[in-house]
This record gives sequence, structure tokens and C-alpha cells, in this order.
Amino acid sequence: MKPMLSTDLNVSDTTVEKAKIEVKNLNFYYGQSKALKDINLSLPERSVTAFIGPSGCGKSTLLRVLNRIYELYPKQSAEGQVLLDGKNILDRSQDLNLLRTKIGMVFQKPTPFPMSIYENIAFGVRLYEKISKAEMDSRVESALKRAALWNEVKDKLNASGQSLSGGQQQRLCIARTVAVKPEVILLDEPASALDPLSTAKIEELIDELQADYTIVIVTHNMQQAARVSRQTAFMYLGELVEFDRTEKIFTSPREKRTQDYITGRFG
Amino acid sequence: MAEHTVASFDEDLRQISRLINDMGDLAGSMVGGSTRALLESDNALAQRVVSDDAIMDARQRELDDRAITLIAKRQPMADDLRHVVGSIRMAGDLERIGDLAKNIAKRVGSVGVSTAPRDLTHSIDSMAQLVLIQVQGVIQEYTVGDATALAKLRNDDERIDVKYTSVFRELLTYMMEDPRNITACTHLLFCAKNLERIGDHVTNIAENAYYVLTGTQLPANRPKQDETAMSAPAA
Repeated sequence: MKPMLSTDLNVSDTTVEKAKIEVKNLNFYYGQSKALKDINLSLPERSVTAFIGPSGCGKSTLLRVLNRIYELYPKQSAEGQVLLDGKNILDRSQDLNLLRTKIGMVFQKPTPFPMSIYENIAFGVRLYEKISKAEMDSRVESALKRAALWNEVKDKLNASGQSLSGGQQQRLCIARTVAVKPEVILLDEPASALDPLSTAKIEELIDELQADYTIVIVTHNMQQAARVSRQTAFMYLGELVEFDRTEKIFTSPREKRTQDYITGRFG
Repeated sequence: MAEHTVASFDEDLRQISRLINDMGDLAGSMVGGSTRALLESDNALAQRVVSDDAIMDARQRELDDRAITLIAKRQPMADDLRHVVGSIRMAGDLERIGDLAKNIAKRVGSVGVSTAPRDLTHSIDSMAQLVLIQVQGVIQEYTVGDATALAKLRNDDERIDVKYTSVFRELLTYMMEDPRNITACTHLLFCAKNLERIGDHVTNIAENAYYVLTGTQLPANRPKQDETAMSAPAA
């Protein structure tokens, strides 16, 4: 007798692999209001995880907890645990600068520094490492190649980063993130302000980067989440409603709320 | 199921459902008509089944167009995606059922009335009844969304296979008894085979419909009772 095919067989895929980040009983507050409610989630290593959900569902908040960037703002606090390789990054003893070299972030709007393309990348590296000019040159080149930008900028490395197109600026930001050799890359709507061609380049880049990095992407574009991620988390009103393999979420989600959201039947 | 935020999306999906329903009704009337034409040697009825096949083909093309346009325009997800892709596949099976019914209808003139023994047409008649119930049932259960009934209906195909095996054996007997039966019996054998194939397409439709409704596949293996490939006629 042939083994029975069951689509449920791989549901636990996301838990079998080694977890890079584990979120445990996480609650988050903006002042008095609770923005994340008891989130439990395990992000596998070298894999792309997408967070989706309507505006205000908490997906960007969750992303911002992962590198503690929320601490830049007053009255925001997180409870629970976020384990990076088993170590709780919410712990007070965690060195924030060290944390942010391990966990890089790219934002919705490209944010190149007002300096040359070369310096945009070298700047961050210099903060953490003392390396020779030759080493820096090769670091800048490899980061730009990694971000699929090298061929477009190699003849104008001294031009301002802000002279690039929006799509190029976003890839410059990714190159800048990659240059400090992080382990995790957080992408907050990285392509929402870009044209389709630049978006495709970013998606291609994400596809290549997952061989070396653990990637988390927040996106409003569901087709994009379906295309680039291996697992998808659907969030609603601060809760994690469903977390599963991306194919499962987009073909036959378990929860009705997920189904209603991804098919466009919400509210 | 709640309505989509974009109302015209619902209308697009409804039109696809309507086409599946129409094709299902037409498939039922073609299968019923072709076997009745065969058993009663009704050439006019046979002709109508043949011309109905053109309508069936046109419906399938319309459904394909609508489904592909919907995918391009709306990028459906989850149950919507299953609905659209499942409909394309179900329409393919319904179209094949139409072809097979047409093939039965085209043989009506060749079989002739008197040459076919009455006992034989009786057993084809009861096989046709089973097939017709399956064809009508599968669209009915899909429309009301009864996945359990679809799983059962899929297994019921076994009864058609059993029936086909016995018709096959009977036909061999008649042919051995009197070689003058051979022409008619060969045509009837093709008709029985067509009915059996229609049953298989109904099974496919049931499997697709089940997946559309539940998001899970039925197990790959189901009981199979067509033994004609194994039974050699006694010499």
C-alpha cells in the first residue's frame, strides 16, 4: 500500500529546523495600551519568515522588538523573552550595539546617509571594526555585490548615496546592513515604495540572502509574502492568529480570520 | 462565507460556479439522453446529444476564459484560489463526460434494435442508471458543499466498476454464442466502457470538489473493482 499523502505532514516544518529566534510569551505596551498579546513564535535559521496582517495588527511592533529598536521611544516596554540563539535579548545586560550588529534592519523608506555610496557602507563597518583601506575596499565591493548593486555603482562610488534611484537606495541600505555581517536581517516593508522592477530585484535579493541569513519581512503585499517567504505569521489585533508554512497559509489556512484576511473579505 | 470587500470579485466567482452548475446539468442530460437513445434506438435523441456537445465545449471555453481572467485580475488566495483552480479542472472532466456521451450517441445507428439481446440492454441500462446518479450527485453535493457525501460518492464508483466487469463477461458470452451478435456487442462494449470512463471522471470531479471545499486531498488509493484487464475469456 502506498503511503497516504497528507498536506498536514509538513506542518511542523517550522519547528523541526533549528530556531534562530524564539519569541516566548511576549507582551508589548505603548504606554497603557497593549500592542502585542502573548506572542509565541519560533523563527528558523537561514529562512525567510513573513509577518502579515492589517494595519495596526502589531506586525511592525513585533519586528521592532526583535532588535529592541523600540527603545528609542519613551513609554514603550516589552515583557517576556526573545531568544537569539538561546540568549534572551530583552535582558538588561544585553549590549544594544552588539545586538544591532547581529540583527540588521532595513526600513520602508530608503534611508541612505548624506554621504558617498562608498561611505554609506564603510561608515557602519568602521564603528565596529578597525580594518585597512584595502580590506575596506573589498568589504564595500562584496557588500554591494551581495546587494546586487555593484554593477550599477562601481564607477561612481564617490557619488552621493542620495543621487541613486529609490530602488537603488533601498539596495544600498541592504548592502549597508550586510556589510557589518549580521546574522538576522529585519525588513520593514522594504519594497512598498518601489516600482515593480525594483521590487523584483529586492525579492530576488531576499531569495539569495536567505542562504546566509535569517530574514524576517513585514509586508502589506500578500503576493509578495507568498513569493518570498518560507513561513508566514498572520497577526490581528496584537495576536498571532496563525503561523505555518507559507504554502499552507495561502492555499488552505486553518483559521477563518486568516482566510478572511488573505482572500479580501475583512471588515 | 462573508462577502469580499470588492463586490465584483464575488460576482466573478459566482459566474464560475454558475458555469460549473450548467455544465453539470448538461452532462447529466447528455449521459441520460445517450443511453436512452441507445436502448430505445432513438436516432433523433442521439442527434440532440451530439449537438449538445458543442454547447458543452463552448461552456468550458467560457469558464477557462473567466477563470484565467480572474486569476490575472484578482490573484485569488486560499479557498478562492482552490475554487478557481478546482473549477478549471472540474470543467475539464465535465467536458470529457460530454465527449464520452456523444460517443455513445454516435453508436446508436450502428448497434441496431433487433440484434442486441434484450437481457444485455437491460444490464447496460442498470449500469447507465448508476452512472447517471453519480453524475447528477457529484454536482449536487458540490453545490451544497457536502464534503463527506463527496468522499462517499467517490467510493461508490466501485459499483460501476463491478457492473462493468459483469457486462463485459455477458457480452463475451453472447458473442461466443452467436457470431452474428459480434458487431452489435462490440459497439455495446464500447458504450459500456464509455460509461465506465464517465464514472472515472465523476471520481476526479469528486476529488477536486472535496479539495476545493476542505483544502485537503482525499487519500490517493481507493478500491478498484474493474477486473476486465485480468479476466481472460474461457476458450
